[in-house]
Amino acid sequence: MSPQFVDFDADGKLDIVAGIFDGSPHLSRGTDKGFGAPEQILDRDGRRIVLDQFWNFDTKKWDRATRKAGEPLQLGGGHATSAIAWDWDGDGDLDLLLGDHASDHVYLRRNEGTAQVPAFGKDNEELQAGGAPLLVPGTVATLRVLDWNGDGKPDLLASGMGDAFQDGPGGGVYVFLNTGDATTVLGAPITLVPRSTKSDDQPTRPDAGLYADAFDLDGDGDLDLVVGGYSHWTPKGAALDEAQQQRVAVLQVAIATQEARLQQLQAEVVAAHDKARVGLDEEQANKKYSELYKARQPERSEIQKQLQAGKAELDSLVPAVRRESFVWYYENLAGRTAR
Amino acid sequence: MPKTTRRALSLMFGATLFAPAAIAQDAPDFAAPVRLMAGDKFLGHRRGFPSPVFHDIDGDGLRDLVIGDLPGRLTVARRLPGDGPARFGPETKLLGADGKNLDFANW
Repeated sequence: MSPQFVDFDADGKLDIVAGIFDGSPHLSRGTDKGFGAPEQILDRDGRRIVLDQFWNFDTKKWDRATRKAGEPLQLGGGHATSAIAWDWDGDGDLDLLLGDHASDHVYLRRNEGTAQVPAFGKDNEELQAGGAPLLVPGTVATLRVLDWNGDGKPDLLASGMGDAFQDGPGGGVYVFLNTGDATTVLGAPITLVPRSTKSDDQPTRPDAGLYADAFDLDGDGDLDLVVGGYSHWTPKGAALDEAQQQRVAVLQVAIATQEARLQQLQAEVVAAHDKARVGLDEEQANKKYSELYKARQPERSEIQKQLQAGKAELDSLVPAVRRESFVWYYENLAGRTAR
Repeated sequence: MPKTTRRALSLMFGATLFAPAAIAQDAPDFAAPVRLMAGDKFLGHRRGFPSPVFHDIDGDGLRDLVIGDLPGRLTVARRLPGDGPARFGPETKLLGADGKNLDFANW
């Protein structure tokens, strides 16, 4: 979730707007005693605001909906995990921008109510930038509204998720400058932080899952960046002698065998469940699955124990990829250069 | 943009929108990134997808860092007063009006 402090309902108190993992924007209202319990921001008809995919609280499963303007429109799965409030159309009330975790796109929900009593439309409008669909490479992690170039107009800062778990390209940070007057008109993206190739042997930057904000942290007249995210790095290993190389080969085979055994074991559980669940209702079927899963737990635990030991020994010989989260500071050098 | 409109928008966004900024139309140069500290620990270390946002949480005129994460929880690292590079205190949980942890993980 990516929080935004904003006076959502024009009552003079700052609230918190945030998209969260369930696929809908949420609001924590500011009160005299502090922030209230988060609630979903609903549309004008009292329905959840989603792109397409969302967590269904009633069925406790992922669900899908189609709420979009115009056809055809590629929603790419449409999972809104980021949201900001922004007076996009310059009518004096706050609209919602929704970032799609499942694609590179950003969508708009217009406020058809007032600044004090927002009433959001039912359709998602695809945002444009530079005359083309606005895209945040690597899928959208977070959105920020701020005046990047000091011209008095709100610009859009966006950062990308990238491949946050494997070795695919990471995320970057971009700014879309606003050239509009009465309403927002965004230009083509300017890359502030390029996407990572994850090629370092130590943590040198946020590589994936980039969540950015900007502020003049050092007071030199320009906007610096803070960026949360995962660093991916692979430590350099020592040179291996022949015996160590042979040991690496043995460990790699053992690990592959154990991982395959775990998959096989899980497949056997699923197959057994498919047979056993015939005639059972959903609750009974879930209970049966738990029984079958637990029955194989001793075997599973033994394999996992061996696997863990093997990976630890292999890592001591050939270091594996590290992945840890931090928050990084990027000092903008424009102000320093201007002095 | 008229100054009155600018002031109104600054209020709307908690004075975060219109921070002083040098004119920039192209990508600026940034120094090599460094990891921020919160007290004696890395800020956001081992949080699930840490998401920082600047906000003066205690009204002391210094912009603190509020960190959201994937599970929907918020922490605050308060900016410490003083000259020189920005320093932040240890992360503490952001509490709601009911005195409990503010928690967006209601799914």
